[in-house]
Amino acid sequence: MSNPSVAFILNAHLPFVRHPEYPRFLEEDWLFESISESYLPMLRMFNRLVHDKIQFKMTISLSPTLCCMLTDPVLKERFLEYLERHIELGEKEVLRCTKEQPEFLEMARFYLDQARENLNDFQDRYRGNILEGFKALENSGHLELATTAATHAYLPLYKDYPTAINAQIELGVQSFLTTFGHLPKGFWLPECGYYPGLEESLKYHGISWFQTASQSMLLSPDKVEYGTYRPVQCPNGVAAFPRDFQTTSLVWSNASGYPTDRNYREFYRDIGYDLPMEYIKPYIHEPSLRVFTGYKYWAITGQTNQKVPYRRDLAQKRVADHAKNFLYNVHKKTKTLEGALDKNPVFTLGYDAELFGHWWFEGIDWLEQVFRQNAEHEQQASFVSPSTFLAKERDTLQTVRPAFSSWGQGGYSAVWLDGSNAWTYRHIHKAIERMEELAVRFNDQISLKQRFLNQAAREVLLSMASDWPFILFNKSSTEYAQKRIGDHLKNFNVVYGNMCKNAVNTEWLVKAEKRDILFSDIDYNIFNPER
Amino acid sequence: MILINIDSLSTTELQYIAQQERLEDWQTLDREELIDALEEAFGEQDDEVYSAQKGKIHRNRFCNSLTDYRGDKQNLSDLPGVEPLPETYLDTSIHLLLRDPQWAYAYWSISPDSRQMVFGEDGQAPSSLFLRVQETRIESGEVLSFDISVDREDTQWNINLPNMGSSYLVDLCWRDRKGNEMSLAQSKRVETYPAYWQKHSGELADNYASFLSNFASLVTKEGEIVDNPVIRDLAQQLCKGVL
Repeated sequence: MSNPSVAFILNAHLPFVRHPEYPRFLEEDWLFESISESYLPMLRMFNRLVHDKIQFKMTISLSPTLCCMLTDPVLKERFLEYLERHIELGEKEVLRCTKEQPEFLEMARFYLDQARENLNDFQDRYRGNILEGFKALENSGHLELATTAATHAYLPLYKDYPTAINAQIELGVQSFLTTFGHLPKGFWLPECGYYPGLEESLKYHGISWFQTASQSMLLSPDKVEYGTYRPVQCPNGVAAFPRDFQTTSLVWSNASGYPTDRNYREFYRDIGYDLPMEYIKPYIHEPSLRVFTGYKYWAITGQTNQKVPYRRDLAQKRVADHAKNFLYNVHKKTKTLEGALDKNPVFTLGYDAELFGHWWFEGIDWLEQVFRQNAEHEQQASFVSPSTFLAKERDTLQTVRPAFSSWGQGGYSAVWLDGSNAWTYRHIHKAIERMEELAVRFNDQISLKQRFLNQAAREVLLSMASDWPFILFNKSSTEYAQKRIGDHLKNFNVVYGNMCKNAVNTEWLVKAEKRDILFSDIDYNIFNPER
Repeated sequence: MILINIDSLSTTELQYIAQQERLEDWQTLDREELIDALEEAFGEQDDEVYSAQKGKIHRNRFCNSLTDYRGDKQNLSDLPGVEPLPETYLDTSIHLLLRDPQWAYAYWSISPDSRQMVFGEDGQAPSSLFLRVQETRIESGEVLSFDISVDREDTQWNINLPNMGSSYLVDLCWRDRKGNEMSLAQSKRVETYPAYWQKHSGELADNYASFLSNFASLVTKEGEIVDNPVIRDLAQQLCKGVL
């Protein structure tokens, strides 16, 4: 047996949050934090590897809602303002720490430098469009870029609505084509949500592969030969890459995953909450809403609030240890599997991209170390993307029917269908049914009615985002999530009600189009089941 | 989203969240009392999910908010001409969603005409509503059914699915005073498929190569099995086989 293959697949996604009607909007920070803590540092890491001629290959799915926000002039302008505030706070922090808390000075300087680098990269290197950075790395052969559902809908709960499933996939593919200039081969299933038969719609839209949850193989109705250690092909030929739970858990495990190391940075301790209001007020939200600022100085330490100051040198040492441990485990597992498999194992690891850098502060350094240490390794693992793997080994895939599954708690749909969010499906399903009805009754409209119906289609799709039921389940930002679902459904009803009277509410239409700028070339006829 | 790891929050943060949650005496509570009060406020202790979630401090997608501090739905304005969502819709229908192979969620609505037919013009007719769950075994084609009584005000129900390897559908039915039964609406089917290895657990236990590639991959180094009830059952079967 030769060397193992490792397929890292990251899902970069955020729900569509854009509120130009407010001077600053709290939830827009989700995007700004992701850009400054994950996407830009990750691009810098990739470029360092390219510069040093270190071989690597990764796959990144960029969701259509994220791509839309990353190219929106309003949000780009606001991100610049965010960075400027960040730099100003950093400058103040360096002065404050010098005088009052020298133990934090190194990190204050680090954050300030990172914010300045972000500003430089964003403005000068990428001219305000960081997707160019991902595109360049795809062109150089280091990344495979993939798409996902239009608004990241959790698809198994829409199984009875093929037009909605098709719309989510078709717009995901179209959006990718518009953004990157070619069709995607891969499709990230939101929340790894799969149901038998979903692959038919994916194949129809030219998709070659998708990823699935680990248990999709063990629970298959077929006898799977290689468990999660090889991709399979569905009966229609589309390949499924199951996550390898054991290797994924080296990072993902709550109990012992690398990010829980006591030397790593504590995510939850932030000066936005810890420093006096009069000092921090200009950098949080009005009126005096404490939020994360990104300036975090403490180490995880343990399950205690008696934290010790973060030391970057200690953390970097652990990063190197953990990268070494990861590669050791991959090789050890390969060795263990030698007698069981007659083919090389493929370890598929799928994570949210924002885990790296934003949540797990050292995560990007860890990825870099994995690639660098592997390059020096005697027996190297081969980093692959699903498409490069399939180009060589498609003929070797076993034909298997994956099982209904997701990566959520319990392994099925419980996260997106529980007491907190089940009420939403009555309304969303009805909106889909009514959208289908509108598309049949008023097919191929032009001008104002066409725009009105296109906006209705946008509202239906936005209500389907998996983020809202997820937030309701986790009880994090529930008011906002409830409001968003309700708004999209109520907005849809404006169109439905007016079209039933053969009227158009132009005031509503103009404002709605201005607010929800995504899918500019959407065609509502996509919801026509007779199409 | 990142779940709140409440133990990691500073006391200042806890006080801040408690203030936002409008907890009484938040200024006088000590750290442990604050944690207890907040856990209670979030209603997690009564949730069966809670115990499974408590230790999960770094999962899934991120969110920058510790708590829902906006607290004002009106903060996000409506567009012109928007009306509140109706509680239900004016048609008679029932929908069945598969939550996992053991549970499905049904929701339904009854139109005013249907309601009048069932309960009479004055709404006083002694009719009753029930759900008839029809199970079709995929391999044998055998059809079984059972009923669940529901109140006239009910609009949703979680339904236990007794067997994997069956398809299920639900009829929303009513029974009149004479005991005649009629269906008002029928859902689409949901299917649950039996896993090959469930039926062949012996093979999995006996064949080390199959065990290694199929089952062992779903267990962490520390022995934690992937979070899935069917796989937990399978693990128990395997344990019995080995013992």
